[in-house]
Amino acid sequence: MDLMPSPEQMEIASSAASFLASSLPIARTRALIDEVSNVDGPAWAAAAELGWFGLGLPEPEGGVGCGLADEALLFREIGRSLASGPFISSVLGARVASRGGRPDLAASILGGARVGLALPAGDPGQFLLLDAVGAEYVLLASPMEATLLPVDGLGPLSPVGCIDPTTRLSRVMCERPLPAITVGAQTDPIAQRASVLVAALETGIAEATRDIAAEHAKSRVQFDRPIGVNQAVKHPCADMAVRAELAWAQTIFAALAVDEGREDAEFQALAAQVVAGHAAEQNAGATIQVLGGMGFTFEHNANLFLKRAYVLGHVLGDERSALSHLITLPAAV
Amino acid sequence: MHLAFSKEDNDFRDEVACWLSEHAPTERRPRDGLAMREYDLAWQRAQWEAGWAGIAWPVEHGGRGLSLTQQLIWYEEYARLGMKPIDARFVGLSHAGPTLMARASAEQQAFHLPKILQGDVVWCQGFSEPEAGSDLASLRTRAVVDGDELVVNGQKIWTSYADVADWQELLVRTNTEVPKHKGLTWVICDMHAPGIDVRPIRTLEGGAEFAEVFYDDVRIPLCNVVGTVDQGWSVAMSTLSFERGTAFTINQVQLSSTVERLVGMARDRSLLDDDEIARALARARADVAALRALTYLGISRNARSEAPGPEGSMMKLQYADLGKRIHRLAVEIVGTASLALDEDSYWTDRFLLSFGESIGGGTSEIQRNIIAERVLGLPR
Repeated sequence: MDLMPSPEQMEIASSAASFLASSLPIARTRALIDEVSNVDGPAWAAAAELGWFGLGLPEPEGGVGCGLADEALLFREIGRSLASGPFISSVLGARVASRGGRPDLAASILGGARVGLALPAGDPGQFLLLDAVGAEYVLLASPMEATLLPVDGLGPLSPVGCIDPTTRLSRVMCERPLPAITVGAQTDPIAQRASVLVAALETGIAEATRDIAAEHAKSRVQFDRPIGVNQAVKHPCADMAVRAELAWAQTIFAALAVDEGREDAEFQALAAQVVAGHAAEQNAGATIQVLGGMGFTFEHNANLFLKRAYVLGHVLGDERSALSHLITLPAAV
Repeated sequence: MHLAFSKEDNDFRDEVACWLSEHAPTERRPRDGLAMREYDLAWQRAQWEAGWAGIAWPVEHGGRGLSLTQQLIWYEEYARLGMKPIDARFVGLSHAGPTLMARASAEQQAFHLPKILQGDVVWCQGFSEPEAGSDLASLRTRAVVDGDELVVNGQKIWTSYADVADWQELLVRTNTEVPKHKGLTWVICDMHAPGIDVRPIRTLEGGAEFAEVFYDDVRIPLCNVVGTVDQGWSVAMSTLSFERGTAFTINQVQLSSTVERLVGMARDRSLLDDDEIARALARARADVAALRALTYLGISRNARSEAPGPEGSMMKLQYADLGKRIHRLAVEIVGTASLALDEDSYWTDRFLLSFGESIGGGTSEIQRNIIAERVLGLPR
């Protein structure tokens, strides 16, 4: 048992962090808000070049052959950086394509073709698509199976504004059955991987907002003292640190549980989704409060973290559905 | 990174589980007094005789000197027995003993350490005072040197197991002329010495596990001072990192099994159909899973570095908050039967006891200060 990354794994995280800092800083993500696509083309291609989309895919399938734990390290950095684009659905889309008998499609995704995410939206056939701009396929994941649907087979996409301006949203009505690529959970537990990767992004958000709040509490002076001397500011910051630490601990525990095929992998993955989802949204909200008026502006990044956290809290169904599912599972091992 | 334990560690787990299942006491633990003391010490003697005493103690002091991972395994298996995480052996094994190992003279170690390991003695702690709680260094119990003795006058409070203890790790003020951290002395006090008066304090749950201790011209030989006179603060701080994140494992494992018992109870009573209860239980499942993951992460981190990470304060804080929430949920599941204090009042007792978790051993407010200042670097 060892939950600390090896030197090689730390290298994955640190090289991802420096790539994101230079190629996809938050300023770039902000600049993309008014563009049609929220994806920086050259940066996406460079990420493909770095092997990001096949990090957890075995080498015979064209991937790098690392584990879900390594992917979690990468996605934690993506979460911290607030980089926009369909990272999770593309990584999982490559897996579904490969395991679903479409190595050609898998290769194209590994090379930089993007996969959006489809969320059931009320009536049968109605979907919300996330970050599907410029994508040929969208991923639809449930605990039972994961499916790739061709975007041009769906009805016309109606773009709609998203609560998170760095996420692209559209509505679509699918009238007829589509030729889909499907992988059952028995073959590959895509939903569990999705829970872990979402939790990793959320951990990154919880950590980044914790750091913003702590920095402000140290530097902002009122009544001739840094505001962080006050326990009314200090204690919420401590709570942010605890939530972020718990989120990462559970995320990496769950990633390893999936990698090692533990009996309780589904339990652990859902627990990660719940704990990290809570940490991201609570930390972002608490950071806005610590920042005061600046936190309520669009100009400060805190609101973008909150909005991203809110969206991530819904991409696998909301917290209610995760809890309702978790209570039906056998106890953890 | 990996979650699986090595074959060696799994074999060790089997060995521990097997020994515990055959030797752990099965009769109910007496609630207090000498019967409780004898129960706890008999259990320690059984561990000593079988070679299991002092799993975290170094071999040179007679312990097992287990790796952090094996300590974790021991505590996980121990917790499955449902025994109290902290009993009359706690201060000796996990606080006074480690302090003696770090700072006491060879004579002091040779006299005291074997008695602790062999289950001959109970230790208690004399740190807090009515006017020195979170601000421990402001303590006022006075000791003056008189010949080759210290003469102690004053009062301690919140001393668990004081009524059944043989020895006490006692922190006293020996110098009032210097800054408050610099005039303290850490001394071994014989609880049977003349002038000591122990008055049990009844807790809100009805038990009397801790006490006030009064000192009226209590004479302690100077050779019982650990370290040197006036250097007691550094002695008291020297054991904070002992066990490096494993000691809390029993609490954490027991909280997980509490949640699973509650899930079972709720199912039996058809309360899982109640969305609010079902989701509260699911959230508790997720939160206790994360507490365990934090334990594992902390042990992994500490195995690589000498400096303990922030997990200690985080674990204590989260455990206290979570424990209160989960035991409140427990009495909700029990329903109005939780009003009655009869043999079956287990959950009501646990609910009431949970209010102490965020106070004892450093309040949650102090834990938050520690985390904010030491982890995030916020100003004091």
